[in-house]
Amino acid sequence: MKKLAMMAVLLVLSGCNLRVLDPKSQTASDQAFLIYLSFGIMMFVVLVVTVLFIGFTWKYRETEKNRYDTPKHEEGNRTLEIIWTVLPIILLIGLAIPTVMITYDVSDIGATSDETLHVNVTGEQFRWTFEYENGKQTHKNLVLPVDQEVVLHLTSNDVIHSFWVPKLGGKIDVLPGEENQMKITPNEEGTYQGKCAEYCGTLHTDMRFDTEVVDQEEFQQWLEE
Amino acid sequence: MQFYLFGDLIVLPTDVIAAWVSVIIGAPLVLYWFTKKRYWPVVWDFATSTNHRKIGMLYIIFALLFFFRAGIDALFIRMQLVTAENEFWVFQGDKYNEIFTTHGTMMIFFVAMPLLIGLMNVAVPLQIGANDLAFPFLNAIGFYLFLTGGMIFFAAFFFNAAPNAGWTAYAPLSTYEFTSGPNNNYYIFGLQVSGLGTIFAAINMIVTILRLRAPGLKLTRMPLFPWASLITSFLILVAFPVLAIALLLLQFDRFYGATFFIGEMGHPVYWQHLFWIFGHPEVYILALPAFGIFSDIISNFSRKNVFGYTSMVIALALIGLLGFMVWAHHMFTVGLGPFANTFFAITTMMIAVPTGIKVFNWLFTMRRGVIRLQTPMLFALGFIPTFVMGGVTGVMLASAAADMQYHDTYFVVAHFHYVIIGSTVLGAFAGLYYWYPKMTGKVLDDKLGKWHFWLFLIGFHLTFFPQHLAGLNGMPRRVYDYTWEDGVFVYNFISTIGAFLMGASMLFVLWNIYKTHRTKEENVGPDPWDGRTLEWSVPSPVPEHPFEKMPVIDRRDALWWAKQEGRSLPVADHPRASPIAVRTVQPLVLSAALTILSFGFIYGWVWMQILGGAASLGFFLLRAFNDERTEAYRKEEQDDE
Amino acid sequence: MNSKTMSKDLFGDKRMGFFIYLFVEAVMFATLFATYLIYTPAPQGPHPSEVFEVKTVVLASIFLLLSSGTLMIAEKGLDRRNIKMILTGLLITFTFGAIFMYFEVHEFYTFVTEGHTISTNNFLSSFYVLVGLHASHVLFGLFWMIVLLIQRKLLPYNLFKEKHKIFNYYWHFVDIIWVGILIIVYIPYLI
Ligand code: HEM
Ligand SMILES: [Cu+2]
Ligand SMILES: [Cu+2]
Repeated sequence: MKKLAMMAVLLVLSGCNLRVLDPKSQTASDQAFLIYLSFGIMMFVVLVVTVLFIGFTWKYRETEKNRYDTPKHEEGNRTLEIIWTVLPIILLIGLAIPTVMITYDVSDIGATSDETLHVNVTGEQFRWTFEYENGKQTHKNLVLPVDQEVVLHLTSNDVIHSFWVPKLGGKIDVLPGEENQMKITPNEEGTYQGKCAEYCGTLHTDMRFDTEVVDQEEFQQWLEE
Repeated sequence: MQFYLFGDLIVLPTDVIAAWVSVIIGAPLVLYWFTKKRYWPVVWDFATSTNHRKIGMLYIIFALLFFFRAGIDALFIRMQLVTAENEFWVFQGDKYNEIFTTHGTMMIFFVAMPLLIGLMNVAVPLQIGANDLAFPFLNAIGFYLFLTGGMIFFAAFFFNAAPNAGWTAYAPLSTYEFTSGPNNNYYIFGLQVSGLGTIFAAINMIVTILRLRAPGLKLTRMPLFPWASLITSFLILVAFPVLAIALLLLQFDRFYGATFFIGEMGHPVYWQHLFWIFGHPEVYILALPAFGIFSDIISNFSRKNVFGYTSMVIALALIGLLGFMVWAHHMFTVGLGPFANTFFAITTMMIAVPTGIKVFNWLFTMRRGVIRLQTPMLFALGFIPTFVMGGVTGVMLASAAADMQYHDTYFVVAHFHYVIIGSTVLGAFAGLYYWYPKMTGKVLDDKLGKWHFWLFLIGFHLTFFPQHLAGLNGMPRRVYDYTWEDGVFVYNFISTIGAFLMGASMLFVLWNIYKTHRTKEENVGPDPWDGRTLEWSVPSPVPEHPFEKMPVIDRRDALWWAKQEGRSLPVADHPRASPIAVRTVQPLVLSAALTILSFGFIYGWVWMQILGGAASLGFFLLRAFNDERTEAYRKEEQDDE
Repeated sequence: MNSKTMSKDLFGDKRMGFFIYLFVEAVMFATLFATYLIYTPAPQGPHPSEVFEVKTVVLASIFLLLSSGTLMIAEKGLDRRNIKMILTGLLITFTFGAIFMYFEVHEFYTFVTEGHTISTNNFLSSFYVLVGLHASHVLFGLFWMIVLLIQRKLLPYNLFKEKHKIFNYYWHFVDIIWVGILIIVYIPYLI
């Protein structure tokens, strides 16, 4: 058990650079915040349960002394029951409020200005197509300018796919016959992995792409190429 | 391997060949062994019985067989994922997709469900003082429907046509246009047939629990496992018909050119709604009975009554009710909009409250008790922290915006294995060790049981804990490969080691069963665990109709109090009539008819559909004129005159 | 065991079980009703009002709804142990059910010959699945009535009575579903 706990700790520590927790956009930061918050609240619950669990199991385990005892009958305990009904409710409210706020935030997909970049993203078995406003198309890499708002217009030509760049934000499904939108503003240059996150058939695994976030000039240049 | 048969080119991958070879070698061995040991009369006895204990055992035996099959699938998955850029045997691309689909579907429908229904079969009637389930014949039918469905699904692999659209079979991938082979037809018919069996089992449970309780055993005096079974059965009544219709619509899309889920007029998302309106209650159908088992076991092995009985029952009911209001938490990324997403996020979080109540009640049941650490209790103890970990990741997933990061990644895979294995599988093992004496008259070896427990639990956490991190590091589920740059190798490597530990632990179960039955020891008495509930007042193994002298119950845990006071339970004067048992091969007829019918549909052979349909109608006729109650009613009428 | 109450106890079990089964069926039909409501009218292809035919619907409904009434004759006969009434009731019900089936087949046949098939559009797909499932229930009921007629000769009266009663519940249930179909499927597009 000890070894196991050690290993768990090590694994958790190595989590500092997990992609989902290494956000490069406001959306992803908000989501990472929610993850940390819910994790914290839940760790509190786990802690309480673990302490009680280990304490009770240890203290009341069968020993030579108590082997023939008959424990007292005990119907329940009003106060205790109220505590463990109300306390979780409070904790959950603490989680629910930011959840609602951030969920509304990340669902806001309207472009805020004319500057906004629009990219059509099409999923199909088994590749992505990124189409820019000037008609330029790519498949393997999505190039975005840093610090500029982008609205992605996502549709599928066949089955359901899901567009996911962990460092830039949560995924959004790519449906046939319907358009989903996603708004992101990358705030750091770099190359981030993108993946299809909805199982879509034989080569679902291979539906990957790179998201290259570059500075404005480089982006314009690339776009004109 | 490729060859020509009747002019068709047949391509057989090596895994299919391996499967056939092992069957061709294995089957004669098993037949020989059964013949040599003279097991056939026993087999026949079980196959034609309507007794709840025997049918329960059949459920469990076949569920365990399917468990090994689906477990081997899991090991193949883990072998393929053991390291980055790996190619294990044939399990890449479609083969990988087939194997995770088979693994998931089998584990849910043909392992977890029948394990629980089997335990309900064995224990529930005894715990409420009933001589059998209300409809013994229907019970046999239910079992054979499960077995038929399971076998149809099982067979797919041998014809190189295992389903490959995931256990969720999302449209449009699951429609004819994108998966045109017979593969997903197996999925439809396997589930349709076994689902009907599940519905029958649920009806049987409800009527049994509502009408066949011993005199004085009011609902409020009932142990918690029957309570959980009752509520679960109600969930089945609502969830499974929805699945049946979803499958029917999918069938129309696949076979008859309807376009419910595809094309310009179809809504692929409608499939997801239907599937999860079934699917989320389904996970509670898996969890609640396990909760019931743990309640009974924890109380028994702490030698104390259940703490907060009333709130336990209310919590069960609340979980069941709320379970129908949360389905769209599986669809946060579909684009239903922030209102729907937050609504379902909040209802989902609400479920944590009754669940928490249960956890604390279990803990406080142990407080001030005397905790005996025998195998069933060990599993119950392993359950509490494991399930709580799965529960808290559940709450994290409920947070809609955050779920957009977790959704369809290994984080989710870790979460649902924590809850399903934590509750259902540990619960089923606990129940198996606990009620094994009631089934067979023997107690399973405690030492081997402990080996099983520790290996399984450690293996489990090794397998699934790292998957949370793999998910957070961007590994989607249902992928057969990852790269070194992905940075998930370590997690996957540990995970594979853990999986093999779990596999090894299952060998101890086999060894234990073998060892327990090899020694020709006397059967144990009625009450090997110093129990509290009624099943421990009748002999082990239970004979048919053990409550001919029906006990009268005056309080909860009546048996325990009677034992404390050194008296036996009073006997009722005029108990109600018991269900009538019968020996019958009719369920086998239905099973054959439905197999023909299903294969007719799976391969689109109309003549076979007609044959199977006619045979099914024939079964109804057979049944209509062979009712086991005929004699009894005739006798009653003569007595009346 | 007290044999006097046996048939009563067992019939009580069975009735409860069967009611629960009917509940299961109701959930199935409810799902199909929902499906129909979602897909009808379809964005393309024929509109329901162009497809449905008042006369067939009215005639079919009259016969099916009447058959629930005529089944009451048999029910009365069951309680009074009056074989004549039972037979009369069953036969009339059977005939009405069969006439209903005739109109159903006629309706489906007409639709198909007019080119309104299951793959024409989603309104028709959901229509065929829903109404078709109901029709197959009626068909099964007809088959069941024939079985009942034979069972009367072979089974002890109490058992026959029990089986007959169970059938009655079934038939009334199928009728109620038809009322649902009228209200949800037909009437909005016929008025
Ligand atoms: C015995 C050890 C087990 C191991 C090592 C194991 C391993 C796995 C793995 C690695 C996957 C992910 C496949 C993928 O996404 O590519 C998976 C999926 C799944 N497992 Fe297990 N599993 C085990 C037991 C169970 C049990 C007991 C259940 C349920 C009763 C279960 C239910 C599922 C389901 C429903 C899926 C999803 C399948 C899908 O994506 O369609 N598993 N399992
Ligand atoms: Cu994909
Ligand atoms: Cu759910």
